[in-house]
Amino acid sequence: MSTEQADTRIPFTSGLTFRQAAATLVIVVFLGLVAGFIELVTDWRSMRQEIQQQTLATLELVRGPATEAAYQFNDQLAAEVVDGLYANPSIGQAMLQDNFDGVIAERGRADAQPAGPLVTRLFGDITDYRIDLHHGGVRPGTGELVGALQIRLDEEAIASSFMERSLVIVLVGLAKALVISALVVLIFYFMITRPLLGLHSAIGRIDPTRPGEWPRPRFRYHERDELGQIVNGLDRLMHAFQQVMAQRDKARDENTRLGAELDVSRRIQHILLPSPEELASVQGLDIATYMEAADEVGGDYYDVLSHADGVRIGIGDVTGHGLESGVVMLMTQSAVRTLLGTGEADMRRVMQVLNSTIYNNVQRMGSGKNLTLALLDYRPIGDGNGEDRGQLRISGQHETVIVVRRDGRVEIIDTDELGFPIGLVEEMAEFVSEITLELQEGDVVVLYTDGITEAADEQHRLYGQDRLVEVVRSHYREPSERIKQAIVQDVKRHIGTQVLYDDLTLVILKQR
Amino acid sequence: MNALAGEGYEVEFRPDEDCVRMSGALRLGGLAEYAPISAMLEEALQGRERLVLDLTGLEFLNSSGIATLSRFVISARNHAQCGLVIRGSNEIAWQGKSLNNLKRLMPSLELRFD
Repeated sequence: MSTEQADTRIPFTSGLTFRQAAATLVIVVFLGLVAGFIELVTDWRSMRQEIQQQTLATLELVRGPATEAAYQFNDQLAAEVVDGLYANPSIGQAMLQDNFDGVIAERGRADAQPAGPLVTRLFGDITDYRIDLHHGGVRPGTGELVGALQIRLDEEAIASSFMERSLVIVLVGLAKALVISALVVLIFYFMITRPLLGLHSAIGRIDPTRPGEWPRPRFRYHERDELGQIVNGLDRLMHAFQQVMAQRDKARDENTRLGAELDVSRRIQHILLPSPEELASVQGLDIATYMEAADEVGGDYYDVLSHADGVRIGIGDVTGHGLESGVVMLMTQSAVRTLLGTGEADMRRVMQVLNSTIYNNVQRMGSGKNLTLALLDYRPIGDGNGEDRGQLRISGQHETVIVVRRDGRVEIIDTDELGFPIGLVEEMAEFVSEITLELQEGDVVVLYTDGITEAADEQHRLYGQDRLVEVVRSHYREPSERIKQAIVQDVKRHIGTQVLYDDLTLVILKQR
Repeated sequence: MNALAGEGYEVEFRPDEDCVRMSGALRLGGLAEYAPISAMLEEALQGRERLVLDLTGLEFLNSSGIATLSRFVISARNHAQCGLVIRGSNEIAWQGKSLNNLKRLMPSLELRFD
């Protein structure tokens, strides 16, 4: 957090205020200089014109006395005229000549400094004036030429006022630039920069985990302008972020909850399965079992319960997935075991009690969950010839039961008419019946759930009962465990990379 | 005509045709959510000699839905004056076993697979 804040600190020279001031100053100074230059050039031009006119006017003023002085060779008058001209500080030299270029009177500054190159360049071409003096003419320029009046202006003197004005213009221009820059910066600071800085600092203080609680700045007089809109927009954005984050958190929590629920369901499904030792101890039957939970755990059930007279095998499938299906499956398991403990042998009665137990509990749960359930009672029967046989009674509605006889004949037993879904309706005993098989040594019985036959490949083709039967037929001579492995491998090959949508359950019984 | 519809499903009762038609995929959560459909089916049964329940367009029905239908069929069985026909489709996987179970609940039920 502290490093992020350090990153938002802006060096003074990169800041908006500084850059604004610098830009304004440069622009105003530049414009001021251009304007000053134009003003100076105009000034210079008009000044030159003025100097020329004034000088010529001055000369015209003294033309009369000068002509008289030249005509009469009146040295005194000539000296007065020249002195009068020389009294003008901008005139550096004045000279009155006769018509033979002889000097009658002259005044000049001996100590005159040579003018600088700039001054000479500006005014050097307008320093010298000469008027010819004619006597007796009606109009100027006629009559007898009696002499000439010459003056030379002092460049420094006439340039000095121009230079002073230039200096003033430049200084005023600079001052103007500074004042304008300051004003612009000040106005912009209060109108835009300060709220922007406030916004910047507010954005810098946003807590990324809680953007909805950002310190929303309030700018007076900006409610209706673009800044106000930016703040409103940001505020909406921050709240939208907050909402999305809340939804994300909720979804994550929900996922966590579902994940936990799935873990529980998975445990429920496996926690009460018979152990390999139990299976191995069953008299007369070679038993192999397999159960794999789907990604979203279903409600498959199987059990193998030994008792004094034989073994009871149950297989079933609770509708749906998840915790509720797992709970129904757990209730079924306990009810089946409890009923076995009571010694009840009549399958119709067993099914009726199971049904009403599950039905009433499912009603409490408010769900329509029910299950297919087949119960098989196996009893070994010795025939006295040293060859073992067994009797298998099958009851309850579930998938088909596949029987492969020792000679390879296949029998498929449809269980639809042997029962009814458990927990679906209140009374179902009337639909329960049973069939009895006799098992010879080497006969194989395969029980499965629809997760096997409805396992889909990438083209959504179902695995199907026919393929299952084929696999059993190719391996029925092998031990149960090998038959099971062959089926599981084949089903997995079929599924390929597809997700497992339903639990896979297999129970293989083989008469020893 | 009465109709109930939700995400992905529709249930229509057409009194003039003596027909309730369910279509789409019904996966409401629990029996309570099926109560309005249950009520509509019961209403359709009243004072009618014959009712057709058309499920040929019902691609999926979850276990609570099947439980609701089972209750309805038992109710129809107990009100013997109304003949019930259920039309299903061989194309739809869930219907085979479940509709046959309904028939077992009510032997007089006429089951027609298209």
